[in-house]
Amino acid sequence: MSIGIAPPAHIGAVAPALAGERPASLWGDAWRRLRRNRAAVTAALFLAWMSATAALAPWLPMKDPAAQDLALGATAPSSAHWFGTDELGRDAFARVIYGGRISLLVGVVGTLVSLLIGVTWGATAGYRGGRLDEAMMRFVDILYSLPYIFLVILLLVFFSRSLVMLFVALGLVQWLTMARIVRGQVLSLKQQTFVEAARALGATDASIIFRHIVPNTLGPVIVYTTLTVPAVILQEAFLSFLGLGVQPPAASWGTLVSDGARLLALFPWLVIFPGIALSLTLLSFNFLGDGLRDALDPQDRSDVA
Amino acid sequence: MLHFNLGAEPETYDPGLAAGQSDGRVARILFEGLTHEDARTLEPQPGQAYRWEMAPDGLTYTFHLRPGIQWTDGTPVTAGDFRWSWLRVLEPRNAARYAGLLAPIANAEAYNRGAIRDADSVGIAAPDDSTLIVRLAQPTAYFLYLAQFYTYLPVPRQAIAKHGNRWTLPGNIVSNGAFTLRTWRQNNRFEFARNPRYWDAANVKLDGVVAYTIDDLNTSANLYKAGVMDWCPSGYMPSQFVPYLREFADFRHGSYQGVYYYSMNVTRKPFNSVWVRRALNLAIDRDAIANDLLKRSREPWGNMTPTGYPGYEHPPGLRYDPEEARRCLAKAGYPGGKGFRRISILFNTSEDHRRIAEAVQAMWKRELHIDVELSNQEWGSYLQATTGLRYDVARRSWIGDYLDPNTFLACWITSDGNNRSGWSSARYDALIHAAAREVDAAKRFTTLREAEALLLDQGPTIPVYHYSTNELVKPYVHGIYQTPLDVHPLNYVWIDRDWRRHAAEPSLARGGRAGDGAPPARGAARTR
Amino acid sequence: MATFLLRRVLLLVPTLWAIVTVAFFLVRLAPGGPFESERDIPAAAKAQLMRNYGLDLPLHVQYLRFLGSAARLDFGPSYKFPSRQVREIIAEALPVSMELGGWALLIAIVVGVPIGIFAAARQNTSADFAAMGIALAGVSIPNFVLGPVLVLGLSLTLYLLPPALWEGPQSRVLPVLTLATAYVAYVARLTRAGMLEVLRQDFIRTARAKGLAERVVVLKHALKLGILPVVSYIGPAAARILMGSIVVESIFAIPGMGRYLVNAAFNRDYTLVLGQVLFYAAFLMVLNLIVDVAYTWLDPRVELA
Repeated sequence: MSIGIAPPAHIGAVAPALAGERPASLWGDAWRRLRRNRAAVTAALFLAWMSATAALAPWLPMKDPAAQDLALGATAPSSAHWFGTDELGRDAFARVIYGGRISLLVGVVGTLVSLLIGVTWGATAGYRGGRLDEAMMRFVDILYSLPYIFLVILLLVFFSRSLVMLFVALGLVQWLTMARIVRGQVLSLKQQTFVEAARALGATDASIIFRHIVPNTLGPVIVYTTLTVPAVILQEAFLSFLGLGVQPPAASWGTLVSDGARLLALFPWLVIFPGIALSLTLLSFNFLGDGLRDALDPQDRSDVA
Repeated sequence: MLHFNLGAEPETYDPGLAAGQSDGRVARILFEGLTHEDARTLEPQPGQAYRWEMAPDGLTYTFHLRPGIQWTDGTPVTAGDFRWSWLRVLEPRNAARYAGLLAPIANAEAYNRGAIRDADSVGIAAPDDSTLIVRLAQPTAYFLYLAQFYTYLPVPRQAIAKHGNRWTLPGNIVSNGAFTLRTWRQNNRFEFARNPRYWDAANVKLDGVVAYTIDDLNTSANLYKAGVMDWCPSGYMPSQFVPYLREFADFRHGSYQGVYYYSMNVTRKPFNSVWVRRALNLAIDRDAIANDLLKRSREPWGNMTPTGYPGYEHPPGLRYDPEEARRCLAKAGYPGGKGFRRISILFNTSEDHRRIAEAVQAMWKRELHIDVELSNQEWGSYLQATTGLRYDVARRSWIGDYLDPNTFLACWITSDGNNRSGWSSARYDALIHAAAREVDAAKRFTTLREAEALLLDQGPTIPVYHYSTNELVKPYVHGIYQTPLDVHPLNYVWIDRDWRRHAAEPSLARGGRAGDGAPPARGAARTR
Repeated sequence: MATFLLRRVLLLVPTLWAIVTVAFFLVRLAPGGPFESERDIPAAAKAQLMRNYGLDLPLHVQYLRFLGSAARLDFGPSYKFPSRQVREIIAEALPVSMELGGWALLIAIVVGVPIGIFAAARQNTSADFAAMGIALAGVSIPNFVLGPVLVLGLSLTLYLLPPALWEGPQSRVLPVLTLATAYVAYVARLTRAGMLEVLRQDFIRTARAKGLAERVVVLKHALKLGILPVVSYIGPAAARILMGSIVVESIFAIPGMGRYLVNAAFNRDYTLVLGQVLFYAAFLMVLNLIVDVAYTWLDPRVELA
């Protein structure tokens, strides 16, 4: 029994890959199903393009995002500055591209942190069971019951406000759901024969957890991860709204958008362009996540058979 | 009814304990002191006292209370009430933050410290119900202006005895000003109604006042635009709006007694070197910050004292001179910025602070080749870092307590609680102490000028801009004027319902504002 | 059922104790204190204030005192607003947040569930992508952008609705819309996923085979189970949404709980922040309890242990 929240059922609904029973075919089927989902494919292509642009930004021919021109100030989009300039006269196009670097990095690394903690915690609790499971999950319940904003403000107050700590803080408030999903999966997996077999062969608990059980929870974990990335990006944007985002002069999409929204009436281009980049990225992650969920659902054979 | 934005939610509007701008605004609407400020000049006008005299030695003031003045519960306001209220501020147990403003009164400071327990030895006496005699420790030229500050307002002892620290709540509160408190909805609004028992109620034109507490600048400006608010006081709209508002009759701009500066922590290397401090100062282009970035909503300023003190002549302000800055940096041992460690600028979360810090960061990088990182902290951590000297360079500001350069200079003496830079100069301390003892006004200013010059040359500060007020007042509101302390008595404000017809006559449409050239008033204010 | 409820209620107490303990030490260890200020406060006055509030006592004594006041649900006066009791502040702000959140939640369900059903019934068609695209757009646009855009368009340009404040029914429209959009997206996605899972189960196939109209199959048979993920989501979501949103409340100047929580955390207003945290946690747990009971009603397979 759990006091807290059940993991989102649509994720738990993805049944575990039945290890030992030709997983290759399962992944192959999933891949085929995913490719038929036009929305998910478009989303994946967009994300690939966005990530490539962000990653290669320093080598792309564009203006220095930090170069200021105070006398110029904020100007509307023009041929010299495609997305216009901000109040310090910086090129908004370069700021949006570089903002993508930070937002995507925060989203991915924050999610990885949550993944690392969540999977380890959930798998350990689920596999060991008993008192330890009870205690570990009760701890998750307690953190769940603290208001999110309270937790994240205090985490950011405690740690110095560096980019790395932002990753950690966002990861630290995100891992709870992941832990619950993984635990639920592990509880049902550990009864299965291949785990029994590994144990009989004298494998240690750690190796059973990480070599046999965790890989088999991959389906739901991948789906949830894809949906966590946009959530983390959005949370970073929310922190930027509170002034707790990345340290300037670095700017994430969240920073750009929350600053821009305040001056919407004066300089609309400062919210429109980063806003579009942010929204399309979030939308794509969500579509991709939903597509993966549909694809990895082994019960859904209707369109493959 | 007048609707305006009070801004931040007041923490308390108990006049003796209040300590912020919006706290003071509410206290001043509800209570009246011995005198009240003229809405234009802030000069003392008869209030609860109808006349007063100063003894020839400048040490004793006698105030005569107006006959028949009452609290809202009908009990008379007496000189004893004033004495009780002032002693309450000084009572150490009450921990009044601004008790220091009563320090010119004889023995007040010792009583506040707890060194004297006998209240009768403090220089406040009420020989009868209508006479208050104040004895000062030393002649204080600005005492009448200081006594207009909200810490000096009278409070109702009968209500405080009955309700304790809940006496200010609607229903419990008893006041003596032009308005009474009708409702208070926290994080939303105050509603005030005209006080029929106020001695000059016949001349109070407003039926009531609604003060919203809206801290979001855009929301505040939107509500003004939508016509919900008649007055958007300074500081409650985004500064970026200023250049677009100059055209409008609603917009009022004027000088405000405050300086925005950066302080350097001299207990840390390399700020212990005076040459480094000079270099950083000279590499700042104040014109670009105030005129380009802030769109002339503030004035570029290279001094640590603001304008507006008749008789005080500023020492030459700091200039922007990148050549000289590089020479200073080389003298400090970092030619071309070589070997200079990465430093950090600390500021509290605010878009304006951030933009300025980004500009300064770029200037130091461009002129001195110094790497600067920005550290944006939320309020609590920021305060902790500045008071605990855990920073390199920090954004700070100072708003004048009273119209005298001393309020801007005295805080830089060794180990003053507001110094927060670790800077200490025996010569500077000596100059400030000498000025405090000086009776001759001209000589005193010369000494202070010398002190300021020393502070600018060697001190831990980088002045950036001079504060301005930028406010919006609907053209049908009369009686709200730009003042250098941003204090606005509402007693005689009135609303012209027929303003569109009157607008044909330019003087009415403009509301007869006090121009920038008007003689600066003398008075005292503390705001955050 | 009765024993289940009794057990859950009894478990609330130790869990709440753990939560307030974690919260107490988190806020107390954060740098700064309630009486710091930009202007120096004389050391004597500060010491006096600390004494007045018992902050000069050793931390463990303060902790015990705090537990005592938490047990009595009386946290005393707020540090920042000394004339008011924490209890009064919550009692005044909570109805506002509940009203705002209640409307938003209602809209989320009334709009989100039909979108989800519609999309599930037409899985992987353009209609599915369009419906989900619209729904997911809500979660892809940060509400601090959506709010100002709505204000600029509907209030300051067309003058249809008030731009802010919480006075009269018209003032409810924009904040409720701003708050509801993200939740519409979550509800739609959960409904779609839940429905997809149910729609391919045997009893649905049987129903279809019996020749029932698709509309009847979807709405009468599938919906009751397909909505389960939404039900389990609504518990924690309701806690969050009803306890106020800092973004919507500050953009629209609404005197709700969200602003108090964030400002109290920033100002280190210990009593106010801890009072709110305890209240939030208790509220969340009660809602989860309700959700668990609702589950048994919707899905007879679930048994309460």
